[in-house]
Amino acid sequence: MRPLTPRRLLSVCAILAGVLFVVVVLSLRLGAYSISSGDIVMTLINRVIGRTNQIPSEFNLVVFGLRLPRIALGILVGASLSVAGAGFQALLRNPLADPYVLGVSSGAALGAILSLSLAPHSPLAMQGAAFLGAVGTIAAVYFLGRRGGQLDSSTLLLAGIISASFLSAIISFLMTTLAGRDLRGMAFWLMGDLSSAPPADPGRWFGWLFFVFFIAAGAIYTTASDLNLILTGEEEARHLGVHVGRVKLVVYVSASLLTGLAVSVSGSIGYVGLLVPHVIRMIFGSDYRLLIPATAIGGAIAIVFADTLARMVVAPTELPVGAMTALAGAPVFIYLLRRRMR
Amino acid sequence: MQFRKSYPSILFLAIALGATAARASQAPVPPATTVPKPTAQVTDELGRKVKVTTDVRRIVSLAPNLTETVYALGLQERLAGDTDYCDYPKEAAGKPHVGGPMSPSIEAIVALQPDLVLATTSINRVETVAALERVGIAVYVSDPHSVEGLLAGIRKIADITGASASGKSMVDDLQARLDSLHASLNGSTPCRVLFVVWSSPLISIGQGTFIADALKLAGAESVVKSTRNWPEMSLEEVIRLRPEYLVFARGHDDPDAGNLDALRKKPVYRDLKPVREGHVVSVSDSIDRPAPRMIDAIEALAHQLHPEVFAALRDDFGPRDWDSASWLPAKAGAKEGYLCGR
Repeated sequence: MRPLTPRRLLSVCAILAGVLFVVVVLSLRLGAYSISSGDIVMTLINRVIGRTNQIPSEFNLVVFGLRLPRIALGILVGASLSVAGAGFQALLRNPLADPYVLGVSSGAALGAILSLSLAPHSPLAMQGAAFLGAVGTIAAVYFLGRRGGQLDSSTLLLAGIISASFLSAIISFLMTTLAGRDLRGMAFWLMGDLSSAPPADPGRWFGWLFFVFFIAAGAIYTTASDLNLILTGEEEARHLGVHVGRVKLVVYVSASLLTGLAVSVSGSIGYVGLLVPHVIRMIFGSDYRLLIPATAIGGAIAIVFADTLARMVVAPTELPVGAMTALAGAPVFIYLLRRRMR
Repeated sequence: MQFRKSYPSILFLAIALGATAARASQAPVPPATTVPKPTAQVTDELGRKVKVTTDVRRIVSLAPNLTETVYALGLQERLAGDTDYCDYPKEAAGKPHVGGPMSPSIEAIVALQPDLVLATTSINRVETVAALERVGIAVYVSDPHSVEGLLAGIRKIADITGASASGKSMVDDLQARLDSLHASLNGSTPCRVLFVVWSSPLISIGQGTFIADALKLAGAESVVKSTRNWPEMSLEEVIRLRPEYLVFARGHDDPDAGNLDALRKKPVYRDLKPVREGHVVSVSDSIDRPAPRMIDAIEALAHQLHPEVFAALRDDFGPRDWDSASWLPAKAGAKEGYLCGR
C-alpha cells in the first residue's frame, strides 16, 4: 500500500472533483429543452454577478429550477450511497455488501411508504421512517447472516436478498391495499428516480440534506484508520487498541443514516454503493482514509452521469435513474461474485 | 329416492355458497335460468366474435365506465356484479364486487353466473378475458379511442342487452349536445393545453387516446404529440412545449390536481406561464372515463376554455349542473387572458 500523504489525498480529490465538474456541465447542457453551451455559460455568469433580470425566464427555470436541483440531488444521493456502501463493506468485511443488495434500500423504501400512507405531507416523518427502515433491515440481515457466531459471506448475501424480496412483498401488499389507485406515485420508491421537483424552499432543504450527509460521512471518516486495521482482522485490530465494537456501531448507524437519507429523497437506486467503492479501490487502493472521500466524489459522478443518460436515451420521456444503474451494475456484480468464487 | 329428490337443493346450496363467497348475497337480480337460451353472434370492439344469449339477464361489469354505462341505460337491475373501483353512481358501490379491474377474481365472476361480462381495453387485462373465455362466459370488450367510438360502443352494448330503444335515444341526445357544442365553438381557435392525468410523476395523454379526442371536441388540442397512450413527461419538456392551459383531471386522491393556490406554491410549476396567468382548469374525472357522463365533462371544459363564446349564451342556459362550484373560481384574476390564440 502506498503511504497516504495529504498531498496525495488532495490531488486525488482534485482530479475527481474535476471529472465531476465536467459531468455536471455536461448534465446542465443536455435535456429536452435545448440551450446552447454559450447560453448556459451566460446564464450562469449573469446569475453569479446578480444580473438575474438579464436571463430569459425559460432559461432561468430550466437551469436553476430543474437541472441544477436535480444535479445537486444526484451528487447527494450518489455520495451517500457510495460512502454507505464502503462503510458496509468494511463493517461486514465483505466486498459485495451494498445498501441495495443487503435489502437496506428496500427497508428504507418500506419505511417511506408506510409514513406516506400513515402520515402524508410531513417530510421529516418520511426521512425518519426511511432511516428506521434502513437500520431495522441491516440489523435483521446482520443477525440472519451469522453462522456459528461468525459473519458468513454467502449466508449474509442470501439473508440480504431474502430480506429484500420479503420487504418488496410487503411493499406490494401495501401498494395494493393502502394506496388504492396511486400505484405510479409509489412505484417511484421501488425504482430510484431523481425527477421529483424540490420542495418550496430548495436552498434550505438542500442545506439540511448536505448537513446530515457531512455529519454521517464525517463520522465514518473518523473511523477510517481503525477500519483499515479491522479489515486486516478484528483480533489484530483489537490487540492494536481499536475499540472494534464502538467503531462498528458508528459505521453501522452512519451508513444506515446515509442510506435512509438517499432513499427518502430518491427511492432505492441500486448498485452504486457496490460498484463505486470497487472502482475507486481498483484505481487508488484500499486505504479508507483516501477511499471514503474519493468514493463520495466518485458516487456523485456516477449518479449524475447515469441520470444524464437516463434523461437522454428515451427523450423526451425519462428513464428512472435506478434502471440505468441496475443495467450497468448487475453484470459487474455477477463478474465480481464469480471472480471471488474462483 | 330421498337422495335424488334433494339433489337440486344441494345444487342450490352450492350455488348459494359460491354466491356468498363472491359477496353476492344481497343482489336483487333475477336468478339464472338453466334452460339453454337462444344465442346471437356479436362482434365486439376488438373484432372478437362472441356468442351472447339474446336474453341477457345477468351482467358483470369489469370497469367503472362500463358500470356507469349500464346504469345510464337503465339496466341496473340486471347488473349482477362490478368492481371495487365502481363508485358512480353511488348505488354501484353496493353491488357485489369481483375485485379490482386489473385483477378480478375469475371465481367470483363465475359464481355470479353472468350471461354477459363487459370489459374494456383501457383498464382490464387480456388474460382476464382469455380466462373467462375458457370457462365459457361471453365477454364483450370495448375499445374506445374516440368519443364517436364511445357512442357507437354504448349503442352496441344497448343492442346486445335488449335496451336498443333507450340506447338510441340516449346516444342521439348526447350527439345532439356535441353537435350544438361544435356549432358554438365553430370559429374559435383551439387552446393549446397540457392535459395532466397524474402530477407526480407527470403523466399526460397521447394522440391516440379518447381524451385527446374529447379535448378536440371541447375546443382544445393537446400539446403532447406522443404515440404512447400515457406518456410520462419531464417538466423541461412542458417548458419547451409552452402550453396555454393546464388541464387537470379531478377526483384522484391527488391534492394538487388543478388547485391553483397549491400550484402557485410549488417550485417550477409556479413559474410556468399558465400558472402565472391563472390558466389552470380542472375537469371532472369523468373526462377519463369513457361513459355518457364524459359529454358533461367535455361541455364543462369547453365553457372554461372558451368563456367568451358562452358568455352570451349563459343566460339562456339556466342552472345546469356543470360541477360549477369547483371550476368557476379558478378563473378569477385572469379576466383578459382567456381568449385562446388571440
